[in-house]
Amino acid sequence: MRESRLSEPPAVRRFLIAVAVLFLALFLLMPLAAVFTEALRKGVGAYLAALWEPDARAAIRLTLLTAAIAVPLNVVFGLVAAWAIGKFDFPGKHLLITLIDLPFSVSPVVSGLIYVLLFGLQGWFGPWLAAHHVKIIFAVPGIILATIFVTVPFVARELIPLMQAQGTEDEEAARVLGAGGWQMFWRVTLPNVKWGLLYGVMLCNARAMGEFGAVSVVSGHIRGQTTTLPLHIEILYNEYHAAAAFAVASLLACLALVTLAAKTLVEWKTSQSLREPAHEH
Amino acid sequence: MSIEVRHITKRFDGFAALKNVSLKVPAGELVALLGPSGSGKTTLLRVIAGLEVPDEGTVLFDAQDATARSARDRRVGFVFQHYALFRHMTVFENVAFGLRVKPRRERPSRAQIAKRVHELLALVQLERLAERYPSQLSGGQRQRVALARALAVQPKVLLLDEPFGALDAKVRQELRRWLRRLHDEIGITSVFVTHDQDEALEVADRVVILHEGCVEQEGSPEEVYEHPATPFVYRFLGNVNLFHGRIEGSKVHLREFSADAPADLGQEAIPAVAYARPHLLDIDHQPPSGRPHFRATIAHINAAGAVVKIELTTDSGAIVNVELPHERYRQLQLRKGAVVFVTVKDMKVFTQAQSTLGGGI
Repeated sequence: MRESRLSEPPAVRRFLIAVAVLFLALFLLMPLAAVFTEALRKGVGAYLAALWEPDARAAIRLTLLTAAIAVPLNVVFGLVAAWAIGKFDFPGKHLLITLIDLPFSVSPVVSGLIYVLLFGLQGWFGPWLAAHHVKIIFAVPGIILATIFVTVPFVARELIPLMQAQGTEDEEAARVLGAGGWQMFWRVTLPNVKWGLLYGVMLCNARAMGEFGAVSVVSGHIRGQTTTLPLHIEILYNEYHAAAAFAVASLLACLALVTLAAKTLVEWKTSQSLREPAHEH
Repeated sequence: MSIEVRHITKRFDGFAALKNVSLKVPAGELVALLGPSGSGKTTLLRVIAGLEVPDEGTVLFDAQDATARSARDRRVGFVFQHYALFRHMTVFENVAFGLRVKPRRERPSRAQIAKRVHELLALVQLERLAERYPSQLSGGQRQRVALARALAVQPKVLLLDEPFGALDAKVRQELRRWLRRLHDEIGITSVFVTHDQDEALEVADRVVILHEGCVEQEGSPEEVYEHPATPFVYRFLGNVNLFHGRIEGSKVHLREFSADAPADLGQEAIPAVAYARPHLLDIDHQPPSGRPHFRATIAHINAAGAVVKIELTTDSGAIVNVELPHERYRQLQLRKGAVVFVTVKDMKVFTQAQSTLGGGI
């Protein structure tokens, strides 16, 4: 750490740090602690039972399935979009960037409603889907579609600035050295963005598993069939099973903590690979 | 392998970066593409490499049309201005890259790759740093890794984009001499782009000067320096003093002085500009007889360096720069503010038409 001439007197510094820490403790750590305390209030047995009952297990399975489909699709889309935006110029580029951000600027409930309007019984494709016995709304496909919509920006947003900054010189170098398209992608482009990609995947995964609003609209809340973890928690809570609700909530809290730890590790790795100054001349 | 480009035109969003450029590089030569930024020199290099597709014209390697060949199939070595080393690979892996991505039937064995990479690292004097990452190297070292990487695939042609542009002055000097030696050693046809006239004149066998997408002049370093074809080339290759005036009959009448006109410029009165390099001017206390000269006042003297640089103001208020050897300077005992006579030992006269047209080839 370099000492700056402009740095504040020690008392002011200590005060500012204290405010920041206090704020974090009050609004982040306390609720987190509350989740675990409440979850374990009726003992470890009740805690495990709440996680093991069939509806909870079904919710966990559905949540994992949703993430397992939504995250890889977003990785592919994110890479394609970031590549197109970062490495080429084409008409409509800015529009594409804006569109990618759309899910961020729309309330998740609205995102869910869009799908109901499209695929619901009274929706545009509703009659056709009903005639062919395809169920999307109030079924698993609807949940997955809504989750994909909500998580679209995560990977792409992470990669676009990275690829724009890196430019195309590395790819050109690989090209001139005789690499084919796939060799260039696997050996040069992907390694160059791997930490950014991993970061995007983690954020995307956390959101895919934790999404409530959009999924709530399209789910129909059929227990054991169309409830993901967040929806399951809501149901339990509304039925005054507070301990069980917090037990399941603690799973999502753990996911958040793991994501946070992994994120820190990735950031440390990224800075590590950029540091290490030149020694010899 | 020889390179030839014929009538290349390349536009970017309506801006013509290259206008009908033709050029020949004989096998084994080291050629510099010299020009200010925006002159199209890098675009020309990238067209030769296949990294840009020309709108018109052809690129020939050994008299074979290579215009349609992709960068991948042209087998050229390209050294990028900012090296473009693969940051997640060690020096060894960077140099081995071109060998590793070859199709399986052409790919050398692991042992052969290792041997070749170590040979190349020895050539660029970086054997000890094989396991380092690019971020752990200095600029000059990175440059040499980039060169070794380009040479690994045994290219027929080596193309370098501002190879020393990002280095500090001292490393530059060393590296350019080293590049010259390396070229003499391996004899590969090489083209490098630079905006630094000293670099081009010192290193290259032949210099091609580009200006606004056109070739202004090409020739050996002596040729272009001693006989610049256009005022642009004269200005670009070194410091210069300008004198405006006109040609009438066999005389050039400039604002500061008159002299004999070069015979080939016609007999009518035409506007003209005379160019003289600072070292082609001399200073004396008395008006010398027989030589064109004019009166001026010494405005500034800089005696630090190989020559003494003197700035003078003419009677009409124009500024003239003169470079004198230290010996001559001491002998004259010049002082700031002194009124002296400037003698023109040699100069080059261009008519106004030539300067506005830029000469053009």
